[in-house]
Amino acid sequence: MTVSSTQSLTERHPLADAFPGDGVETIGNDADGHTVLAVDRSHLLEILRQLRDDDRFRCDFLSDICGVDYPDRQQRFDVVYHLANLDSGERYRVKVAVDEDDAVLPSAYGVWKAADWFEREVWDMFGVRFEGHPNLKRILTHEAFHGHPLRKDYDPGQRWLLTEKDIMTPEWAREEQLDDQHMESQVLNLGPSHPATHGTLRTVLRLEGENIVKAESEIGYLHRCFEKMSETHGWQQVIPYTDRLNYCSSMINGVGYALAVENMLGIEAPPRAQVVRVILSELSRIMDHAVCLGANLVDLGALTNFWYFFQIREEIYGLLESCAGGRLTVSYARIGGLAHDVPADFEEQVRRLLDYIPPFVADVDKLITRNRIFRDRTEGIGVLSPEEAVAWGWTGPCLRACGVPYDVRKAHPYMGYEQYEFDVPVATTGDTYARYLVRMEEIRQSLRIIRQAIDNLPGGPVITDDHHVALPPKEKVYTEMESLIWHFKLIFEGIKVPPGDAYHFTEGANGELGYYIVSDGSGTPYRIKVRPPCFALYQAYPHILEGLLVPDAIAILGSLNIIAGELDR
Amino acid sequence: MKDVPAVNVDRGKIPFGERIYLGPILGGLRVTLRHFLRNVFGQRDVATIEYPEVKRQYSERLRGRHILTTNEQGEVRCVACYMCETACPADCITIVAEEDPTAAVDHEKRPLSFEIDLLRCVYCGYCVDACPKQAIIMSREHEMAFTTREEAVVGIDELRQKGPIDQEDLGYRPYF
Amino acid sequence: MRQPDGSSSMLTTRVDAMLGWVRKNSLWPLPFGTACCAIEFMSVVSAHYDLARFGAEVVRFSPRQADLMIVAGTITDKMAPAVKRIYDQMAEPKYVISMGACACTGGFYRAYHVVQGVDEFIPVDVYVPGCPPTPEALMHGIIKLQEMIQNGETKYDRLKHPEPDRTASAG
Repeated sequence: MTVSSTQSLTERHPLADAFPGDGVETIGNDADGHTVLAVDRSHLLEILRQLRDDDRFRCDFLSDICGVDYPDRQQRFDVVYHLANLDSGERYRVKVAVDEDDAVLPSAYGVWKAADWFEREVWDMFGVRFEGHPNLKRILTHEAFHGHPLRKDYDPGQRWLLTEKDIMTPEWAREEQLDDQHMESQVLNLGPSHPATHGTLRTVLRLEGENIVKAESEIGYLHRCFEKMSETHGWQQVIPYTDRLNYCSSMINGVGYALAVENMLGIEAPPRAQVVRVILSELSRIMDHAVCLGANLVDLGALTNFWYFFQIREEIYGLLESCAGGRLTVSYARIGGLAHDVPADFEEQVRRLLDYIPPFVADVDKLITRNRIFRDRTEGIGVLSPEEAVAWGWTGPCLRACGVPYDVRKAHPYMGYEQYEFDVPVATTGDTYARYLVRMEEIRQSLRIIRQAIDNLPGGPVITDDHHVALPPKEKVYTEMESLIWHFKLIFEGIKVPPGDAYHFTEGANGELGYYIVSDGSGTPYRIKVRPPCFALYQAYPHILEGLLVPDAIAILGSLNIIAGELDR
Repeated sequence: MKDVPAVNVDRGKIPFGERIYLGPILGGLRVTLRHFLRNVFGQRDVATIEYPEVKRQYSERLRGRHILTTNEQGEVRCVACYMCETACPADCITIVAEEDPTAAVDHEKRPLSFEIDLLRCVYCGYCVDACPKQAIIMSREHEMAFTTREEAVVGIDELRQKGPIDQEDLGYRPYF
Repeated sequence: MRQPDGSSSMLTTRVDAMLGWVRKNSLWPLPFGTACCAIEFMSVVSAHYDLARFGAEVVRFSPRQADLMIVAGTITDKMAPAVKRIYDQMAEPKYVISMGACACTGGFYRAYHVVQGVDEFIPVDVYVPGCPPTPEALMHGIIKLQEMIQNGETKYDRLKHPEPDRTASAG
């Protein structure tokens, strides 16, 4: 069972001349639109630099670093880098193989800052070390953890217990580190259970007076092992798990995953399913922004808006529940389409929502947007320049607030987004206030998309009739032998996804939500790596904080919309 | 990325009207006052559902507690094929099969025991999708609370339909 | 507040009943919300469901000011010491509602980093199933807990007033 990692590569690639040395072993194009380079470890750093600086590539954006374990191979681990040129939209995948005995790679932190946490994750999950990394330690698992859980020989149920005495504080935050120079300073531990951290984030701050002089974030408090669980479940069974990644907008995750697998299978959902997916995804985006803005405003002392936004959410829940049967975790998308058709009054319900939502958004707008108290607290706070934001791997509303109009729905349209007229909200100041304004405008743009989609809702089936992928209709299962057999095979053996790997990305509520999927042709995924947008957003957070005040930390955190389920998976 | 239709949402410097606080603050108070008065005198806009006296009307797709359907003779329709157990992502279903002595054909199976751990269950509905006999469906019963974990593991007797199927509070099931 | 023979005097019964009534109608929850269930908890306190109707709207994040811990969401091994510590810091009497599949049993995360039910390290009074439970389900759980408090059936009550030793008093 070996997965070919360099399939569909051509012999002589137009870009081959760019790499005269022997660093690049193979170069080719993958079916998912990536240029794939297999690179020798000794030349990795120089090639990554070239990809960033050479005018032919200009990869200013590192979207993901991911490990894959092939225990049967001589060079056991693959480390996969996903790069992009945001201007041209070109995408690159760089693979480098390492031995188990000598699992060391040079750190790419000096090339893209975004590599910081992604490399720590690869170390934590696979045990591949990155030389030159400023702070290489475990990130998702806890201090008392042994082993590297995403290695194939790690038992999924093997737990290690953490006691309070094992919990470590960063070196610089310990009391004995106080010298004369820092006598005035103190350490503040924000989280993991703190009302402003919305669940499970922890940030350790060193304060001088009220000024933050140093900060470090600790994550992993909600590491639910999504990636390991997906390796022990069938392709279709992963969908309920994806719901719980970004639980504020669960539909978007499920759709993103279904699209990624459909892309590997070479199938497409029927038109009706596509449009329904667009409508429900955009409603989920509105819900997500509602939670983000509502909670952010609560932290800043504006509670009323939270009630208004939650009324919107409750009404959208009503629609989702009548479609899927679940309010929050919908499990409605399926590989190949949707679980079942929408209810008869779907159109009517959506139109009612289109009338219901805008007044509440307008109310919040009236309460907040022109309010000077809010502006004073958020303007000029947590500023990131566009270059820095891209270097940190930011995407989504937070990147657009910095002035980069990158939206996957526009840059790489999927699911028919090219048919809809909508604008990408952009701000230039890159501060907390800009992030608020961008999200408010995105709610309005989403409503615009839904309005167009519901006007053009086609009829027809909502799931593909390919019986290798979708369960046959129930009435056939009850009556026809052939359908029963297909049903039986799909339940017990699962979908067979052709061997290979692909990276597919969609615009989640927080930015680029990517799935890097490796299949070995069996009924369960070999490896699923999620590229959560929050992960990149949050790794910049401690760096933004330095020089600001504690109340600013709260305001910025809320505006980044860090969802722990997606951050820690 | 250059030709993306973008809308700039920057608001620039604070204009004088906003700098003196008063205008937007009064505007905000108007919003809250409007909601307050509408709630006090109108009553029709009050969003609150007075649970437990009033209950929200959920759709017939709500994924609640499971029901094992029965045939005309009052026996559960389940043939212990293990499909729901296989499809369940939470592994919360445990079936023990036995040979059905009442069946017309030899080697027909029926469940000796069929247990669902309602606390493990994530109510995703995959068991309903997987069942080839419409033997397991879901009800709209979602208001549950247990005091021990053992109490939440329910068997055939608790799960089987109580009366005629059209009198159950039916939730997620294959036909709508 | 029991007589040596295990029965309660009329006065203390009245006091117990009143204490139970007071306690059940002024539950101050500490939402230990970590994941999806926390979002549903937000729904419970917001306009549509309005937990204030049960006297439990005073959401306190400080354990010293809360008497009902609602564990809403997955608890991982990394988080477990924090949950334990916060529970220990709560003033008595204290009650625990475990909301949702993850907090009750680990749910479908039978995994290397997930606690398989918070009752591994704190006593749980009411388990609410669902993933996440609907707001009604959580309120049903809270009503059930209120009944248990009134009847003195919670884990805290059992700890304070263990079943009297009948054999000893009979002799």
